[in-house]
Amino acid sequence: MPRVTTLGAPDPDAAALAAMLTQVSEARDRDAYAALFKHFAPKVKAYLRRGGMEAGEAEELTQEVMLTLWRKAGYFDPARGGAAAWVFTIVRNARIDAARRQRDVKLMGAPPEEADLAPSAETISLNAECQARLRGALNSLNPEQKQIVQLSFFSDTPHAAIASALNLPLGTVKSRIRLAMAKLRLMLEGLS
Amino acid sequence: MISHHPSPETLLAHATGTLAAGHAVVVAAHVQGCSQCQAEQARLEAVGGAMLEGLAPEPLAAEAFARVLARLDDPVPEPPPPPRRADLALPKGLDLPAALHGAEIGNWFWIGRGLRYSRVRLPWAPEQNVMLLKVAGGRKVLHHSHGGMELTQVLWGGFHDGIGQYGAGDIGEADETTTHQPIADPEGCICLASLEGGLRLPWFTRLRAG
Repeated sequence: MPRVTTLGAPDPDAAALAAMLTQVSEARDRDAYAALFKHFAPKVKAYLRRGGMEAGEAEELTQEVMLTLWRKAGYFDPARGGAAAWVFTIVRNARIDAARRQRDVKLMGAPPEEADLAPSAETISLNAECQARLRGALNSLNPEQKQIVQLSFFSDTPHAAIASALNLPLGTVKSRIRLAMAKLRLMLEGLS
Repeated sequence: MISHHPSPETLLAHATGTLAAGHAVVVAAHVQGCSQCQAEQARLEAVGGAMLEGLAPEPLAAEAFARVLARLDDPVPEPPPPPRRADLALPKGLDLPAALHGAEIGNWFWIGRGLRYSRVRLPWAPEQNVMLLKVAGGRKVLHHSHGGMELTQVLWGGFHDGIGQYGAGDIGEADETTTHQPIADPEGCICLASLEGGLRLPWFTRLRAG
């Protein structure tokens, strides 16, 4: 059992999280892993629950996600984006896999990992300051746009969920998503 | 120069993981070759990260950390065996997109004058309707109406559809409201395409010289 030195420590910021992930990747550092687990696991579970996953399944899948984080830490590239964005992609893929297994346990294989693919020519790097700006941008969306963005990320069936939450015909959902994303993009201009 | 990208809501669905597996492969093939969409996807994933960070934590079971810790040294599961891939005798310089790693690629077969079809089977989502299409130069392709979204990533050559010109790297996104009539460029066209709905034959019904 590694020493958990971070118990009671203040919540790590984006730079600290990226540094810990790099520690896990390069030194297989279990203390850093423990701190990442403490920070991310409860948020991952909350994310899966927001998507409507039942508590027991969300608990199991969160543990899988955290195991994947340990195994795939070598794919994390701090020049490409923050630790939270990288963890988000792991949760996203785990959720897709879980839905697939539910339909058919015999399914084989998986789409190639993003990181196995050709590195991007034009990447963005998000430092702590940028992440704060990103949070600010999300918070300054109007309530409807904020709800659209949230449902887009949390829901399994975002178009239907947005239509029902905002009482919109399904046909107009696309254009509302487009408007909300345009607003968000405008606020994020300069992040890249 | 890429001039046709996935729509913002399709790119969003891809980044959030709600796009159907077949469409996801075609969008991934586009993004891999498009620096603009790579940057947009990275931005959307950063938004996803911020959403994750903004959630109120939900406590895990008391033994959760110990259970994961006990599994850290478990052997990593074996990757599945490489899928069958037909030799499609592709033009020199054309490699299949990395997004198709892990996919089974069927032989070309003739489905009409100047038109060949290769089934792309995704072992993780075999019900998805994904295909490679090879259209001879100048062939005109008539659409019939279909139930849902259709994505077409140009891998080689190009086509025009009366509205726009699509070259290698461009993606065409059509839905039930789109009516167009693609005509392959003189050198022909090889595309990766996905159609919503179950497995069925391609949507081309009639062909005639352009």
